[in-house]
Parts: sequence; structure tokens; C-alpha cells
Amino acid sequence: MKRSLFGRLDAGAINVGIALTALRTNLMRSILTTLGVMIGVFAVTLAVAVGSGAQVSVMDSINALGSNMAIVFPQPDAEGGRSSFDRGRLTLRDARAIERSIPGVSAIAPQLRASVQMVAGGRRASTTAIGATSGFGAVAGVGAESGRFISEADVRSGARVAVLGPTVARKLFGTFDPVGEAFRIDRVPFTVIGVLETKGSSFGNDNDDTIVVPITAARARFSNSLPGPDDLHVLYVGFDDGTDLEESKREMTRLMRERYSVERRDVQPFTIRTTAEFIEESSQVTAIFQSVLVAIASISLLVGGIGIMNIMLVSVTERTREIGLRMALGAKRRDIRNQFLVEAAILCVIGGAIGIVLAFAAAAAFSVYADFPAQVGAGVATGAIVFSAVIGILFGGYPALRASRLSPIEALRSE
Amino acid sequence: MTRPLVEARDLAKDYRMGEETVHALRGVSCTVESGEFVAIMGASGSGKSTFMNMVGCLDVPSGGALLVDGVETGAMDSDALAELRNRTIGFVFQQFNLLARTSALDNVAVPLIYAGVRPGERQARARAKLEAMGLGDRLDHSPAKLSGGQQQRVAIARALVTEPKILLADEPTGALDSATSDEIMRIFQQRNDEGITIVLVTHEADIARYARRRILFRDGRIIDDELVSDRLIAV
Repeated sequence: MKRSLFGRLDAGAINVGIALTALRTNLMRSILTTLGVMIGVFAVTLAVAVGSGAQVSVMDSINALGSNMAIVFPQPDAEGGRSSFDRGRLTLRDARAIERSIPGVSAIAPQLRASVQMVAGGRRASTTAIGATSGFGAVAGVGAESGRFISEADVRSGARVAVLGPTVARKLFGTFDPVGEAFRIDRVPFTVIGVLETKGSSFGNDNDDTIVVPITAARARFSNSLPGPDDLHVLYVGFDDGTDLEESKREMTRLMRERYSVERRDVQPFTIRTTAEFIEESSQVTAIFQSVLVAIASISLLVGGIGIMNIMLVSVTERTREIGLRMALGAKRRDIRNQFLVEAAILCVIGGAIGIVLAFAAAAAFSVYADFPAQVGAGVATGAIVFSAVIGILFGGYPALRASRLSPIEALRSE
Repeated sequence: MTRPLVEARDLAKDYRMGEETVHALRGVSCTVESGEFVAIMGASGSGKSTFMNMVGCLDVPSGGALLVDGVETGAMDSDALAELRNRTIGFVFQQFNLLARTSALDNVAVPLIYAGVRPGERQARARAKLEAMGLGDRLDHSPAKLSGGQQQRVAIARALVTEPKILLADEPTGALDSATSDEIMRIFQQRNDEGITIVLVTHEADIARYARRRILFRDGRIIDDELVSDRLIAV
């Protein structure tokens, strides 16, 4: 006899009724069992949320670098071969050669970096100064929020002007607009010409804690440990949209190896990285981060599931006689199986629902206190609900199956 | 000629108990016609309970054949047996076996759930059966609030609610005092007079006297099968 849809809905409603009666009968036990699932679902949901929040945050900070970019460092590339260089080399002439001969280059931003102490009025601050050219803003994707960015004229004349990151501006000048104000870097007077747009922070690293000065001023005024008057700490190379960064990196590498006469098997004195590589590596790292989080959280869900299985086995044992009676009255194996599956599912769904709600609340709190948001959305919620249902079926399945396989005579005879 | 409701042909049942094989039934042949009231008697271990489990389709034979309502049970799977039980047989147990914390009405309606009867009709039919048992004012009572006799009447209402052909009662008065036993037997006799077939398992000779026919089991065989000459009529 096939059952109609109505019949199945009706049977489902009956099973829910039976399950609720049974769960109410052992209320404390039911609550404790539910608690296990609740904690598990809470932990997994929160772990997923924090993990995907981290992923989004990392992508944001890479995009903040400028999405189509290569970075060249004067550091010997560690991969294989024997090194004929004590240290790396990277010069302004290399930068110009790259700009001239690599296709797709939209702009270059050669830079010097230095740790500096600043004084303005009575206030002090230390930060990393970037000595840059006027092209830096376009390549790195930063602009002036107020005032202006450094110009070609500033670079040519070696003007002692600076664009402050918002954090530095706040440290030195509080809430006042510092444009036009004077300050000193290691006793050398500089003038503020602008304040950078905020770029937020990524992984505890405040991107706004920096200042930008003309590269010429940096070379003349800041101590640096570079070997020549033309050497750079880092070079950003911006590319046109749609440029194949992998191909561009190969061409840049070929050009640079030629310039430094690097033999085929030798280590090159420079390292080239592209944003595409950063994105790939970072997503690998965040994926591992997320997997570890979820794996740890899953252990608590597993424990919750085992709790469900344990209590369902107890429930089946306690109600063996009832099972036998129902079978005598005409219950089929699937009727008994469904009855106990529904009971397990109710425990899981209630626990899962509370767990999700708590996880959303915790994620909201996390987003307030942490410097990256925990991403909770329909996807995470759906996943968690499906997950708790699966836990119910998985861990309730064995006890339910066991109940359905009881012999009616044995079951009726049990005390 | 009508076919018998229960027909056992050289029925055998063996159980394995560890290393040993127990021959619970060793070739039982008998028929029960529609409308009969049969008392199955015998000492514990005589095979009467095993026979009753077979007739109740709770178990299948390991030898011979058993036809219940014309169907051979030996080859049936558990689902088919469940359907046959639901449709053809009403069970009454010694310990009543009512669901605790469940109203009399809902207890009686349980077999109808498995018969696929709609909720409204379930309630109506369960109510009618309870009223017929004189329990119209106890519909919402849980078993704990009912006397033993009342509980057994609820159980009988449950057994009859699917309109089965056979009422199978296993020591139905075993947990009741003699006055209440008489009351329960009166209900059985009334239902039997209305046409339902009753198979009653008991070890009490006095209770067996309410039936029309008496079958005596010993060592897995029928050793006596006779009409009850000194029949008691419950008042």
C-alpha cells in the first residue's frame, strides 16, 4: 500500500507528536543532549564565519595594494642555485628599464623606506616613511583625502613635504586638519601637504600608519643602508587592466637577469612578486586557517552528535516494549525507524537553531571587537541547518535502524 | 463452504538457544473457523505462546504451513506481516500495554495511524469504540488514571478499532481480579456473539470455560482439542 503525500505528512506530524511527548518526559536529558548539538553548531558556524571574514579581509587588503601590480625587491631569490651575490640589487635605472621595455606597464613607483621619528609641537610619533615618486599614488591605489599628493615638481626639487597617513596625522595633530602645518623628521623641517585616504588595517597591521615624502628628499635626508645613490628598497610596477601578470613577470625576470648578467643556474639578486601570487598564497593561507578552525569546531559537533546517538540508544532501549506494541498494532519497520529519526532530528534542529542564533550574535560581537568582520550570511546559516540535520540523521540513524530491526516478540517480552 | 480463518498444517517452530535447538512446536495441525471462540491452554513451555505468536503474525513458522485469513505467512516479509496484523488481528495483552502519558482516545487510535486512516476519522472511530466499551466519559484519561479493568477495556477497544477478523488475547485476565475478569470475559462473549473470532491463550481452566472450544498444548503438540461442555456465560 503506497502512502499518499497527505498520509506521509500526517505520519510526520504524528511522529513529531510522539517525539515531543518522549522528549518532554525526559526533559532534563533532552535539554542536555540539545546543548551538546547547540555548542557544536555554534562553534562550527562561528568558525566558518570568522574564516570567511578573514578571507574577505585579506582579499580587501590585497586589492588595496592595487589589483594589477608586481613588486620587485632587491633580495636574492631563494629558489635553488648558488648565490654569487652577497646582497640584492635594485636601482632606479632598473626601474626605468622595466618601464621602457616591458609591455603593459602603466606606471612605476620606485621607493625608499625608512623608520623615522617625527615631532610636531609637543607631540612625537614614529612611523615608516615611504620615499616615493608622484606615480606611487596611482600604482598603490592611494590618494590624498585632503590637501594633495606629492607632485613631479616636489620629486625634482627634493622638496621637504609629506603626505601623512590618517593614523600619523591623528597622532601628531589630533583632530585638526594638518595640511600646511610644519613638523620635523630627525630635526629636518617638513611641511604637511596632504592626508592620505584611509586604507584600514589588515591582520593587526595599520595601513594608515605611514607617511609619503618625495623619494629625493628621502634619499637626501634619511639614513639608509643602500650601497649606491641610485639603489631602491622596493619597486612597484603597475600594469594595465587585462595584462597577463605571469607573462609580465617572466619578461621582467628575463630583463633583470640580463641586466645583472645572471648565469642560468645562479641565484638572481632580486625577487619579483605579483598581486596574483599574493592572492593565491593568501587564499591558501586563509583556507588553511579556516580549515583548522572548522576542524577544531567540528570536534565539538562530533561530540554533540555522539551525545545524540547515546541518548537515542537509551531511548530505544527504554521503549523497547512500546516498539514491540506498535509493531503488533501494525507499525512497519520504516514507521518505527522514522519515529526515532524524527526524535533525533528534533533534538538536532532545536540545538542547531539555538546554536545558529548564538553564533550570529557572537559574530556580530566579534566584528565589533576584531579588526575584521565575521561573515555570517544565508549561506552559513543554510549550511549550519543542513549540517545539524545531517548530524541528526547520521547519529540518530543507527539507533533508529536498530529500533526498527527489533523482533516484535522479543520487544513485547522486554520489561 | 467458507475457508478457515486460521489453518495450521504440520506447523513447526525451532529456536536456537546458543548451542541447542529448542523445538517449540513439533507439527501442529488445526483450523479455526470464522466465529469460533477458542481457548488455547497448556503449561508454560508447552508451545501455546509460540502458536499464538504465529497466529498473530508476529513470527513465521520454520516448518509446515500457516494460513491466516487465507494467506500463507511463511513467505511474507516484515512489512507484509505488519499489514496483515494491522488489518486482520486485534491484540489484547495481559499487561494491557497502553502507552503511558497518552489519552485513552489516542491509545485506541494508534492502530488506525498505521492503517493510514485520516486524523478526523481516527478520532471518530476511536471514540465510538471507547463508548461501546462504556468508557465514553474517560476519553481523555491517561492509563495511570484508569483502573485495571478500565485499562483492559481501553486495550480491547484498541484491538477492535480496525475491525479485525480475529481477536487474539494473551492471558487477558492475568492481571485482574475475578470480578473484573468476569466483566472482561463478558465483553469477549458479546463480541463473539456478534461474529468476531476469538483466540484466547490462558493457563486458567476457569477462564477457558468462557470459550466454546478448548485446545490443549503439551511439548509443542496439541494433545487435546474439544468443545467446552461446561461453558460459563459471563453476566
